[in-house]
Amino acid sequence: MKRIILLMITALIVAASLALGGCSHVGVKVWEHDILAKPEMQLDAGANDRALDDHIYFSKEASSGGRGFAGGGCGCN
Amino acid sequence: MRLQLRKVAFIKPAVAALAAALLGGQALPATGQDNVETSLLLYSEKDRVEAAEGIVNVGKMLKGDRTLNLRLTYDALSGASPSGATPSSRVQTFTSPSGRGSYTINPGETPLDNTFHDTRFAGDITFGQPVGRMSALSLGAHLSSEHDYFSAGFNAGMTRDFNQRNTTVGLSGSVSFDNINPEGGVPTALAVMPGVGATLPREGSSDSKSTFDLVAGVSQILDRKTIVRFNYSFSHASGYLTDPYKIVSVVEPESSADAGEPVRYLYESRPDSRTKHALYGQIRRYIAGSTIDLSYRHFWDDWGVTSNTIELFYRQKLPGGHALQPHVRWYHQSAADFHRVYLLDGAPTPEHASADYRLARFDGLTLGLTYSLPIGENMHLNITPEFYTQRGDSSPPEAFGVLRQYDLFPDMDVIMVRAGFSYGF
Repeated sequence: MKRIILLMITALIVAASLALGGCSHVGVKVWEHDILAKPEMQLDAGANDRALDDHIYFSKEASSGGRGFAGGGCGCN
Repeated sequence: MRLQLRKVAFIKPAVAALAAALLGGQALPATGQDNVETSLLLYSEKDRVEAAEGIVNVGKMLKGDRTLNLRLTYDALSGASPSGATPSSRVQTFTSPSGRGSYTINPGETPLDNTFHDTRFAGDITFGQPVGRMSALSLGAHLSSEHDYFSAGFNAGMTRDFNQRNTTVGLSGSVSFDNINPEGGVPTALAVMPGVGATLPREGSSDSKSTFDLVAGVSQILDRKTIVRFNYSFSHASGYLTDPYKIVSVVEPESSADAGEPVRYLYESRPDSRTKHALYGQIRRYIAGSTIDLSYRHFWDDWGVTSNTIELFYRQKLPGGHALQPHVRWYHQSAADFHRVYLLDGAPTPEHASADYRLARFDGLTLGLTYSLPIGENMHLNITPEFYTQRGDSSPPEAFGVLRQYDLFPDMDVIMVRAGFSYGF
């Protein structure tokens, strides 16, 4: 069951990326990256703040992962 | 050299950031410049733990668009943490984890173990290397050390751009090996906590666990102002996953005159493997100088925990390079299958049981506000006050007898302040 879910999710990601890759109207030309190149438009802007957050939530909640690796590397009592 | 880097910086940032975003959050210098980022966090739980954490992150561009990122983290914490035991109408005495001392809890109060304090030091290094024109490879290592815990790990990731760099797919993996040396040794699972001075029931002085992580993701530029990302993360841990400092109360059954009063305390027990999955989606859009970021995560594992997280950031640009960013995060989790508020005296002991409130069903809410200001060329300062609260079931339906009089999930309220400094050069 777990394997099936895993396979389905992998297939979904591959399919989504192929579908998006095939859409010529989605996206911009390389010289139109001006706004997306701004520091505040980076998906991981404020990486230190997010690392601090993730450490807190890892220690205080039962969930982890999603944005990055779920592993902890701390005792976190 | 500097000119050349700046020129590269114009085209590459989105790509570098995508790569960083996809590589399990291992930050690569996203601005195409060398940079230093430091952060300090002060954390205070009402009546419980106080902590301070500092991070220094240095990103360096090397020859041939290679990148090197070094992150050092130090934190110190002390205070009281709920032990898992239920409140009682009598004074309760608990043996401290070392077995050499004890602490007492007044009638009606939530048992908090105030004997713990710790410091942690962690170091991460990540090396990024372009492969051809459209791909990047990253390799990293991680070390983390506490007085009772040591972790070492490695990670590797690959990203590839497609579709005129509008689409990036990435896959990264990580392995980590942890060693746990609890104060007083590793308690025997579900053994009775003895009195002070008695021999502690121990399985050994240390134990270990290993974790394998995988993150697969895709980022897509939708238009000049919008970017989205989807990730799937998988994590499998095996080994010692129990919290050696948590206990479960065994209470008098409902038929007893002392219904709900504790009879003894057992060291908790969790399964020795755990598989976690998460699906994560994020959209970031630029709107007239401001930025809005919305993300959602759905998480599930084989311990029966399911959770949903929604997070929203809105960055409002102010004159002179200043900015204000309110932030809200909402979280809900279901309880782990083996979470028990208490065990009943006379009933068979389950294979696994934990009264850790972090495995209970609860809601979390975070509210924060970041103010950033420029303090020089390429230098920024930001400060974030944040409030985090957890609300669970204070009087769960299974409470009976004396337990009905007490708060079985006291609100946990946290005030934090983060200060960050960044410098690109």
